[in-house]
Amino acid sequence: MIEICKVSKSYNKGKVKAVDEVSLTVHDGEIFGFLGPNGAGKTTLIKMITGILNADQGSIKINGRDIRGNPLEAKMQFGFVPDDPNIFSRLTGIEYLNFMADIYRVSSITRVQRIKELLERFEMSLAAADLIQSYSHGMKQKIIVIGALLHNPPVWILDEPMTGLDPRSSFDLKEMMREHADAGKTVFFSTHVLEVAEKLCDRLAIINKGRVIFCGSLQEIRAHAQANQSLENLFLELTENE
Amino acid sequence: MNSYWALLKILIINYFGISLFQIKNQKNRRPYLKKLGLFLIIIAAIAPTIALYAKLLIQGFDLLAPLGQEGAILTLGIVLVSSIVFVFGIFYVINFFYFAADAQSLLALPLSGYQVLGARFSVVLINEYLSALPFLLPPLLIYGIKSGASALYWLYAAVGFLLVPLLPLSLATIPTVLIMRFANLSRRKDLLKILGGLLVIALAVGYQLLFQKSGPNAMDPAFLQDLLTDRSGLMNLMSRVFPSTRYLGLALINADQLGGLVNLLQFAGLSLLAVALAWLTGEKLYFKGLVGSSETTAKRKMLSEADYRRLGKGLPPVLSYWAKEMRLLFRTPTYFINSVMTNLLVPILLTIPFFIQGRNQTTAMPWEKLLSAASGQTILMAAIIGIIVFMTGSNAITATSISREGREFFISKYIPLSYRKQILAKLLSAYLLGVSGAVLLVIAVRVLMPLDNSLIAMLLGVSMVAITPVIEAGLIIDLYNPKLNWENEQQAFKQNFNVVFSMLLAILLGGAIIYIVIRFIHTPVSAALFMLLGFGLAASLLYYFLMTWGVKRCQELAG
Ligand SMILES: Nc1ncnc2c1ncn2[C@@H]1O[C@H](COP(=O)(O)OP(=O)(O)OP(=O)(O)O)[C@@H](O)[C@H]1O
Ligand SMILES: [Mg+2]
Repeated sequence: MIEICKVSKSYNKGKVKAVDEVSLTVHDGEIFGFLGPNGAGKTTLIKMITGILNADQGSIKINGRDIRGNPLEAKMQFGFVPDDPNIFSRLTGIEYLNFMADIYRVSSITRVQRIKELLERFEMSLAAADLIQSYSHGMKQKIIVIGALLHNPPVWILDEPMTGLDPRSSFDLKEMMREHADAGKTVFFSTHVLEVAEKLCDRLAIINKGRVIFCGSLQEIRAHAQANQSLENLFLELTENE
Repeated sequence: MNSYWALLKILIINYFGISLFQIKNQKNRRPYLKKLGLFLIIIAAIAPTIALYAKLLIQGFDLLAPLGQEGAILTLGIVLVSSIVFVFGIFYVINFFYFAADAQSLLALPLSGYQVLGARFSVVLINEYLSALPFLLPPLLIYGIKSGASALYWLYAAVGFLLVPLLPLSLATIPTVLIMRFANLSRRKDLLKILGGLLVIALAVGYQLLFQKSGPNAMDPAFLQDLLTDRSGLMNLMSRVFPSTRYLGLALINADQLGGLVNLLQFAGLSLLAVALAWLTGEKLYFKGLVGSSETTAKRKMLSEADYRRLGKGLPPVLSYWAKEMRLLFRTPTYFINSVMTNLLVPILLTIPFFIQGRNQTTAMPWEKLLSAASGQTILMAAIIGIIVFMTGSNAITATSISREGREFFISKYIPLSYRKQILAKLLSAYLLGVSGAVLLVIAVRVLMPLDNSLIAMLLGVSMVAITPVIEAGLIIDLYNPKLNWENEQQAFKQNFNVVFSMLLAILLGGAIIYIVIRFIHTPVSAALFMLLGFGLAASLLYYFLMTWGVKRCQELAG
């Protein structure tokens, strides 16, 4: 569960208000999509949830642990997939996974089993011993997804996870998100692609210029739309009128 | 040639960060003022050393003048500068020719090898002139003024100054370009680049060995007599390291004779020939050493059961984080060459000249007398600790430890490892490398000098403590203002003022404590106690500061 309460953040000494009094609650067992056009403030909010940025105002709790008050426990609760997968290029895939397992204190037995299982699932077993530098964009994305899942986190946070993945991997990832939610855990992801949100989410929030302009289930959003207006038009309209 | 000039202009602007347009712009003036301020600080920091150097030269002149050997101070300066240019040159060339951010991108332009290499060579040359200035100007001035030299001398001196760095820089360029060409053949590029860098440095050291060995024994009486009777005897002895430097020395002392002009032309000819050779090598091999240098191997091999089992062991989080730091330090060529190598190289470079002299049984080494007195041992101890402190400050491992993370810094923020522990892991990496450098230096000194075991033990003990405040201060500097916005690892290191600050701080800290020891303390034991106390106190204070302010600073820094 993620509880976001009246969170704001501005850049450049207040000139750019990237996130403006956002309040959201993401429940256990659901996939929550965070939808918005480029520059809407999605990454900024995710950075605050994960402790990368400090919020100017408001509080964020992950499974009841405040990210500012109790950061280490809060950080233990989630696995994070950042939007830029270009990290640790001078480590091999397996070194990276082992590093993450150490940091998240995954026991030896679980670690071997999970790394093996996830590598196979993402068809990364062959590349694991190579430097991440030698991976393609999608492969980098996959190794990071695996790293984020090693400790079987109760909350899974992903920033634009589908970009750069081929249809097959994208499908696998969506399936894993579904499984994760069905196991009673929380999945929170951002996207600017409407179809992804539409197909995958139990609930979603639409954000534009730092403000949440809609939050609810797909049915609710459809009801919100006029009779035969497509979801796409609604999205366009909502984000334009602001 | 046009493209050469265009390229040179761009490289200079990039390298020195100067652009007239920006200087005129009011808003952008601050960074330049900052740079100017830094420059002044550096000058202030090295001014005492230069003053001492000048004083020694003046004394040397007065001492040698009755023997007609005063020209030796010129050769001393020229040889010193040539060696400095050469050693710096190797690092400049490796870094700026091969690891620089724009090294790859220039490949796409329609330029030939000698143009690109030539332009880069020229930028490095400008740098070398700056480094040469404080060492070459004093002897030229002192000799000229004290000997009442003619206008021709001053003309030759100016030309000579411009010529001096050419040959050693070419000598640094040629083997580097050659070796990097072959380092690029293999697919383990990073590793080979590092090995290539090491090989170049080894060759450089070997070269020096060769030229110093081949000369006559300095203690041979017949040679000594020659030395003192021939007007350029002492000069010849010193110029053995860079034989061509003799010509410039001769040109300067014989400036008023035709022979002087001939010597100057000889020197110019040799220097220009070396440059031509270097550029020719560049034309043939430079691009081949660059093409595809960012490719890496991909074996795409299945992990075996044994691999998985090994993986299962795991490490405590702090140690795992530390292991990651070490891996990146050793695997990234820029970091390896500039910090790990510097740290291990200094002890070796420092002791080599003494090895070459050889431990002659019949002649006493100058320090043997020194070492027999307690005060001598104290001075030696202070000096060695000073070098260790300086080495640790200049390897800049902690002073770049946040900067090196660059855009990846956000990872430190979201992983569930406390900032306290991350700081500890970073200190540990630097500490281990610092200790290895210190131990290496102490071993080298022990090989050279007959030191008691108790003195060795004290040296080791004190250095373990002495490096601690230095690495802590480095981390504080980097935490205060890390350089996180870079595209190329080179920038995290070479264009990072924190490295300079860390070095200056090490000079100040080491200098202060050593000054006190030499001035007020006369026995090794009390010196060791004093230093343990002094460095220990500084270490504890800085540690406390890191654990309070430092941790808070980590929280504030945005990923
Ligand atoms: N480091 C920064 N400094 C200043 N402004 C920033 C910074 N990062 C983001 N912004 C601004 O904050 C706003 C929100 O950016 P954010 O990255 O959160 O958008 P986003 O929704 O993730 O967009 P995208 O879909 O393109 O990833 C934008 O106006 C952006 O320009
Ligand atoms: Mg984004």
